[in-house]
Amino acid sequence: MDATIIGAWVATGLTLFIFSFLYKDNPLFKLAENLYVGVSVGYTIVKTYDTVIVHLIWKPIVENQEWTLLIPVAIGLLMLTRYVPKAAWLSRYAFAFIVGVGAGLAIPRTVSSFILKQIEDTIRPLLMLVPGEGVTFSWNLMNPASSVNVIIVLIGVSSVLFYFFFSVEHSGPGKMVARTGVMFLMIAFGAAFGYTVMARMSLLIGRLTDLIEYSDPSYGRPTLWLTLVTIGTLIVLSRRSRSEPPDSH
Amino acid sequence: MSFAERMLKIDRRIIFVVIGLCTLLPLLYPVGLPIKISQEVRGVYDHIESLPERSVILLSLDFDPASKPELYPQAVAILRHAFKKNLRVVAMTLWVSGTGMADELLTKVANESGKQRGTDFVFLGWSPGGTAVIINMGQDLYNAFPSDYGGKPTRGQPVLEGVNSLKDVIYAVSLGAGNPGVEAWYVFGKDKYKFELGGGCTGVMAPGLYPLLRSGQINGLIGGLRGAAEYESLIGQKGRAVAGMDAQSATHVAIIALVGLCNIFYFSLRRQARQQGSQP
Repeated sequence: MDATIIGAWVATGLTLFIFSFLYKDNPLFKLAENLYVGVSVGYTIVKTYDTVIVHLIWKPIVENQEWTLLIPVAIGLLMLTRYVPKAAWLSRYAFAFIVGVGAGLAIPRTVSSFILKQIEDTIRPLLMLVPGEGVTFSWNLMNPASSVNVIIVLIGVSSVLFYFFFSVEHSGPGKMVARTGVMFLMIAFGAAFGYTVMARMSLLIGRLTDLIEYSDPSYGRPTLWLTLVTIGTLIVLSRRSRSEPPDSH
Repeated sequence: MSFAERMLKIDRRIIFVVIGLCTLLPLLYPVGLPIKISQEVRGVYDHIESLPERSVILLSLDFDPASKPELYPQAVAILRHAFKKNLRVVAMTLWVSGTGMADELLTKVANESGKQRGTDFVFLGWSPGGTAVIINMGQDLYNAFPSDYGGKPTRGQPVLEGVNSLKDVIYAVSLGAGNPGVEAWYVFGKDKYKFELGGGCTGVMAPGLYPLLRSGQINGLIGGLRGAAEYESLIGQKGRAVAGMDAQSATHVAIIALVGLCNIFYFSLRRQARQQGSQP
């Protein structure tokens, strides 16, 4: 049998088993869920072993005599001393190395990219000097760099920052500023939720598109047959759970 | 029990069926709703369009099968565009669980476009280290990836002629489903090695990446299946993303209607409770 057809049957079956959770938790869902976790972990272990141990360590050292690679290998092996209580202190050297290098690499770049660049973009000039036109104020809401959008960003950033400033009581004019901040936050959460809904629906569309494709006779109509199997199994399981006496524990 | 109370306590499985039907019916009977191209998607398209033939673009497929419905169509559309423009494509992934899928995707689109592995494109595969791989590539690409996914030495491959590090890459696009992804490519790649960067991401991530787009840190953003549909429309090769847009619109209308109805029922119940509370 063609591997594509086997793949179609497996993909269809697992999709339907996962969808069966929408009815209620059941053994078919558990089977698909555990298979997903197992296959993902197994795949990751095999790929990591092949890439790291075989191609980046074993072959360069044994075939190309790149002995300097033994230094990172030794540091990496120190991590494993965590499993030997008496030698566990050695793993601190490996962790210190990783934390030191990681922090050294990440902190300056993150500060530059996410703090300085974003501050720079937040503080834009309200008015622009256009040659021949003099000082202009742009009202175009669709242009992110327009003057009116600069004002909106300024109000948004200031009010949200004030909302999270808890040292001053939010009363009087402060209450109004904090409420403005809350409104900006709500708009941001709404946009994020809207995108989340879109993303989840996209995943559903992806699975349903595959199910429609696999309902084709060239695959042996796995969608049709496995839908019947799934529904049948759910009915049997439901009847069995009804007929079983309640748990005495 | 009033109608509003019954509606608010409706079996959730009925809502699942409604959403399921709203998705399935437009997929079976497409209407072909128009797709408006956004500036952020056009940013990536225009940049690739402006590149001269045989320029090197780097495509980092930083996702795994869990995000396939959203990011796979984006990758297919970008690859088709790059191959149509006769660009050299250097593909890779920072996600170990996405290596097999990325290779299958690249092979499929390359075969469809008649492109040769090693001459027109290369798949470097995955290398451990996450963001450190980007820094390593910025210093020496051949040190980060001594061999490609198939085990062939990267040095000497015609597709990589004149490319020694990320500094020699004209344009990079990261299609990311999380971390490491678009942000990592900006922080450790573009900001340090000064190449132009475009991004593609899942719908969930898109709002978080808009600040990078607005500040010019990335020159374009393809967000979710919708972004993929826009890109497919731009290159004139409609695929899975465009086919899913009717279903997407139908489910959004259904969800808006459900949210609206729930609010009406909620406020009517609250009014009822207030009225009952005010009665002696």
